[in-house]
Amino acid sequence: MTPGLIGAPLNVAQLYLDGVCRSFDGFKAINGLSLAVEKGELRAVIGPNGAGKTTMMDIITGKTRPDEGKVVWNGDTDLTRIDEAGVARLGIGRKFQKPTVFETHSVEDNIRLALKAPRGVFPVLFDRRSAEENRRVTEYLDRIRLTHLRAETAANLSHGQKQWLEIGMLLAQEPQLLLVDEPAAGMTDAETMETAELLKSIAGERTVIVVEHDMDFVRALNCRVTVLHQGSVLAEGSLDHVSAREDVIEVYLGR
Amino acid sequence: MPFRPLTLIAALCLAVVLPFLASAQTLDALIARLPDGNFNDRAAIVAQIAETGDPRAAQVLDALLEGELEQRTADGRFVRVTGSRNNQTAVDVLTGEDLGPVARRSTEAVRVNNALRRSIRTALGVLTLMDPDPARRLAAAEAALRSPSADQVDALAEAMAAETNANIRTAQTRAHAAAVLASDLPVEQKLDAVAVIGAANAQIVQQTLNAYRNAAEPELAAAVGEALAAAEARQRLWSQAQNLWFGLSLGSVLLLAAIGLAITFGVMGVINLAHGELVMLGAYTTYTVQQIIRTNAPEYFGYSLAIAIPLAFLLVGAVGVLIERGIVRHLYGRPLETLLGTWGVSLILQQAVRSIYGPTNREVGTPDWMSGAWQIGEMTLTGPRIAIVIFSLVVFFGLLLLMKYSAFGLQMRAVTQNRPMAANLGIRTGYVDALTFGLGAGIAGLAGVALSQIDNVSPNLGQGYIIDSFLVVVFGGVGNLWGTFAAALSLGVANKFLEPWAGAVLGKIVILVFIILFIQKRPRGLFPQRGRAAEG
Amino acid sequence: MTRLIDLRLGLFLAALFAVTVLAPLATTLPSTSALNLPSYLIPLMGKYLCYALLAVALDLCWGYAGILSLGHGAFFALGGYAMGMHLMREIGARGVYANPELPDFMVFLGWTELPWFWYGFDMFWFAAVMALAVPGLLAFVFGWFAFRSRVSGVYLSIITQALTFALLLAFFRNDMGFGGNNGLTDFRDVLGFSLSAPSTRIALFVLTAVALAGCMLLARAITISKAGKVLVAVRDAESRTRFLGYRVESYSVFVFTVSAMMAGLAGALYVPQVGIINPGEFAPANSIEIVVWVALGGRGTLVGAAIGALVVVALKSWLTATFPDLWLFALGGLFILVTLALPNGLLGLVDRLKPRKAKPATEVPA
Repeated sequence: MTPGLIGAPLNVAQLYLDGVCRSFDGFKAINGLSLAVEKGELRAVIGPNGAGKTTMMDIITGKTRPDEGKVVWNGDTDLTRIDEAGVARLGIGRKFQKPTVFETHSVEDNIRLALKAPRGVFPVLFDRRSAEENRRVTEYLDRIRLTHLRAETAANLSHGQKQWLEIGMLLAQEPQLLLVDEPAAGMTDAETMETAELLKSIAGERTVIVVEHDMDFVRALNCRVTVLHQGSVLAEGSLDHVSAREDVIEVYLGR
Repeated sequence: MPFRPLTLIAALCLAVVLPFLASAQTLDALIARLPDGNFNDRAAIVAQIAETGDPRAAQVLDALLEGELEQRTADGRFVRVTGSRNNQTAVDVLTGEDLGPVARRSTEAVRVNNALRRSIRTALGVLTLMDPDPARRLAAAEAALRSPSADQVDALAEAMAAETNANIRTAQTRAHAAAVLASDLPVEQKLDAVAVIGAANAQIVQQTLNAYRNAAEPELAAAVGEALAAAEARQRLWSQAQNLWFGLSLGSVLLLAAIGLAITFGVMGVINLAHGELVMLGAYTTYTVQQIIRTNAPEYFGYSLAIAIPLAFLLVGAVGVLIERGIVRHLYGRPLETLLGTWGVSLILQQAVRSIYGPTNREVGTPDWMSGAWQIGEMTLTGPRIAIVIFSLVVFFGLLLLMKYSAFGLQMRAVTQNRPMAANLGIRTGYVDALTFGLGAGIAGLAGVALSQIDNVSPNLGQGYIIDSFLVVVFGGVGNLWGTFAAALSLGVANKFLEPWAGAVLGKIVILVFIILFIQKRPRGLFPQRGRAAEG
Repeated sequence: MTRLIDLRLGLFLAALFAVTVLAPLATTLPSTSALNLPSYLIPLMGKYLCYALLAVALDLCWGYAGILSLGHGAFFALGGYAMGMHLMREIGARGVYANPELPDFMVFLGWTELPWFWYGFDMFWFAAVMALAVPGLLAFVFGWFAFRSRVSGVYLSIITQALTFALLLAFFRNDMGFGGNNGLTDFRDVLGFSLSAPSTRIALFVLTAVALAGCMLLARAITISKAGKVLVAVRDAESRTRFLGYRVESYSVFVFTVSAMMAGLAGALYVPQVGIINPGEFAPANSIEIVVWVALGGRGTLVGAAIGALVVVALKSWLTATFPDLWLFALGGLFILVTLALPNGLLGLVDRLKPRKAKPATEVPA
C-alpha cells in the first residue's frame, strides 16, 4: 500500500491529527480531535474513562479508520489509509494496555521477532541468525533487565516483567514514535518510577506518547500534558497548568 | 354354487314378461334386450338405460364398456365377469351379488364395437354428470373437460342447469365450453366458449385451446391465439410467484434449521456441529410418536404432530442440556475444540439412531388436515409447506418474544454480554448456559418435526442441513436473530430463483460461492453487531 | 539453536525408513515364512502414509498458524483428481470403448472432444505439476481473499467447509467433465509400469514414504525458521504481530498455500495406490476427520499428526472390518476424548509422562 500524500508540508509536527472524528453506533468516541506532537517530544495524554484515548491510538496505528479527518505523519503521509503493519513499518510502535507478548515463545525470541529487519514472508523465512542480531538482542534485554530470563518462556513471566518485555520489543522495533498505553498499570511503585525514567530517556531520540491514568506517573514524566474529554482536546500544557483549570477539575472530579 | 329356484323363476318370468312392457322401460327390462339386435339397436338401448335414472345404470354401462358384461347361459342373469381366463369370477350387475367363480363357457359376452363404445361413453358421461355424489360429479366434469366431445354439449348444459355447487358448475361450464368448441355449433357460440376457457388457469387454457390455434374460422383462430398468449403471460407472472413461494418455503426450512444455531452459535458463541443431528432426533421423535399412535390408537393420528412438537422440544432440549453439561461446558472460550467435540457427538448420535432405527428412510405420515393442496391462480400451495412456513414464523417470533420479554431471555442476554458481571449480579451463569443450549437444541427438535413432513427421515437427515444452517447464521450476522431471519429467507428465495436458470446443483454452488465471497467482503454478515467491542 | 531434526522427528524418520526398507523385503519372503507380508498390503500401507502426509499438511497450518481448515480434504482430492486425470489418459485405447483420446465416461456421455481442461494431462510431468499447482492456487486465491478480510477462527473453518461442499456438489455433476458420481477409475499403468505389478506398488510406496519424510522436514524447517515463529506469534497474539509490522495475511496465505500443496501431493500419491478417486473425497466429513488425526496425535508437533493419522486410520480399518457399527461410536468418542482429556494429543500425554522434558513444543490455547 502506498502512503497517501498530502499537499501542505507540515514540517513542525511529526504527528498531526486534524479534525478526526469517529463514532460507534452514534456514540462519538472521537469528536473533532486535533493534536500535534513534535519530533522527540514526550507527551502524556490523560482523560477520564471514555474520553477516547484508546480509540485515538487505534486511529493512529491504523486499527480503526476515522469517519472524518486526517492523521499526518512527518508532514507528508496520511496514516488513515494504511493498515497496522504498514503503520508499524513506517516507524510507529505501540504498547497495549494489557501486556501482550508471544506467550509460547522465549523472551529472546520475542525480542528477535521485534528487531528492526525486513518483514516480508520470504526474507523472514530465509533469515539466518547472525552474531550482530544476537548482540542487538542482548542489548535490549540488558536495557529491560531481562537478560537472565533470556531462554524463559514468556508465559512464565510476571505481569511487570511482561510489561517490560513488551517495552523492550517496542524499543527493538527502533520506532520513531512510541505509543504507550498505561504502562504503569499493575506495576509496583518502584517499577512505575523506573518505567518513567526509561520513557524519559527514550524521548528526545524518539517521540513518545503516553496514555496514562496514574497522576503520579504523569507527574514523574514531567512533560507536556493533553487532556482529552468526550473525544476532543479539553486542555493542553504542563501538568500544573492543566490541573489548575476548573473545567479539567470538573471533568475529573465532577463525576 | 347354491341353486336358487326362486331367483331363477323370477328371472325367467322377467325375461318373458318385460319385453312387452316397453313403456315401463325399467333398467332390468332394457338390459335384457341388450344381447338381441344389432349394434345400432344396442346404442339406442344404451341411451335409454342412461335415461332411466336408475342408480345401477352406471355400473351396467361401465361393465358393458369394458366388455365385461356377460349373460349367464344357465339362468340369463347379467353378470360382470372379471379375472383371467382360467380364474373368472362373476358379480350380478343388477343386485351386486357376488356369484363367485364361473366356468369359462358358462356365460356369453354382450359384444360391443367402437361406435357403441362411443355411445356408452357419452351415456356414462351424462350419467355421472348427474351423479348424486358431488365428488363424482366434479370428476365427471373434469373428465369431460380433458376429453371434450361434441356429443356431451347437451348433457353438460343440462347438468349445469341442475347444478347447485358453484365449484362443480364452474368445471361443468368449462367442460361445456370445450364441448362446444369440439362441436359444429355456430362460431359465435364458440367465441363465447373461448372466453369461458380463457378465464380458467393457464394449463387448462393450453390443453383445451391448442387444437384450435389454426381453426378454420379466422375470428375463432384469432380469439384462441389471444387467449393462449394471455394465459402464457399470466403463467409467466405466476411462475415468479410460485418461485417466490418455493423460495419462502425453502427459506422457512432454513430458518427453522438455523434458528437454534443462531442461539447456540450467535448468542453463546458455541459451534455446535451436532445441531444437524439434534434436528434429526426431532424427526425421529415424530416418527416414534406416530408409530405408537398407529399401533395403539390409530384414530388419534391427526394429533400426532401436536404431540410430537412439545415432546421433540423437551426431549431434544434435554439432550442439548446433557451435551452442554457433559462437553461444551468444559470448552468455553475454545471454539475450535468445541467444534471438534460436538462433531464427535454428532457421529455418535448418527450411529445411535442408525443402530436403533436402521439406516433406511422412515416413513413419517402427514395428518389428513395438513395434506392437500390449494390452487391460487396459477400456483399450487401444498399443505405441509404452508404449515412449515407458518410454523417457522411462529417459532421465530416466539423466540424473539422470549428473548426480549422473559426473565430467562434477560438473563441469557446478560450472561452473553458480560459473564462476570452477570455472575456478580447473582445470575447462575452455568444454569443459564445449560438452558440456553437446551433452548437451541429444543428448537432444533422442532425443526426436526417440521422437516419430517417434507424430507426423508434417515440418520443422515441432519448432515444435509448443517452447512446451510451455519452459512445462514454467518451470512445474517452472528448474534442477530433478525439477521438470521433475513438471511434464511433471502437465501431460500435466491436459491429457488437460481434453480430454473442454473439447475438445482449449480444454483446451490453459486449460492455457496456467493456466501464465501460475501463473508470475505463483510466478515460480520448482513447485520453486524456494532460497537467498539465488535471491532476488537 | 533449534535443530532441524530433534529426537522425536529423528525417531519417527528412522522408523519410517525401517518400514520402507523392510516391508518390501518382507513381500519377497516365501509365503510360508511368518514374516511374509502379502504384497496387497503394500498399497494399503502406502495409503496410510498418504493420510499421514495429509495430516502433516493440516498440522502445518492448524497447529502452527492456528488456521483450522475444514476443507483440506478438498486440496487432497484436487491433487488426486489431477493424478487421476493423467492415469485416465494413460489407459488410452485400452478402455471399454477403445477410444484413444477420450476416457470411457466421456464416450459414455456421448462427448466427441476432450474438454480443454483435460489438455496436457497426457503428460506425467504436467499432471504432477498440476497436482501441486491447482490446490496451491485455490488455497492462494481463497486465502488471499479470506485473510485479507481478516476472516479467521471459526468463520474461516465454516467457509472452508462450504468450499469443499461446493466442490463436492460440482464434482458430482457429470457435465463438469470429471466422471461425475463414479469419479475416475480403472487405471492401468503409470509411466508405462502396470499399477498391479508388485514392483510398481513397492515403488509407489517408497515414493510416498520419501514424500512424507521430505514434507515433514520441509514443514519442520518452516516452523523452526523465523517465519515459523511469526506464524506461532500470529496464532498467539495476532494484533501484537501486526503492530510489529508483520503483514499477518501474507504469512497466513503462505502457510495455507504450502499446506494445500502438501495435501495435493498426498492426494496425487494416494490415487495410483488406491486405484480410484471420486467426489466422495470432497465430503466435509472427510475433512473433519483429518482434524481428529491431528488433534489425537498432538497439534503443532508434525510427528504427532502423522502418528495420529496412522493410529486412527488403522483403528478404522480394523473396526469397520470387525465391528462396522462401532466405528462411528469410536470415532465420535475419540473426538470427545481428545478435546476434553487430551488437549495436546498423544504426544502431549507422552510429554506429561516424562516430566524431565519440561518444555512441551507447544502449549496451545484455542
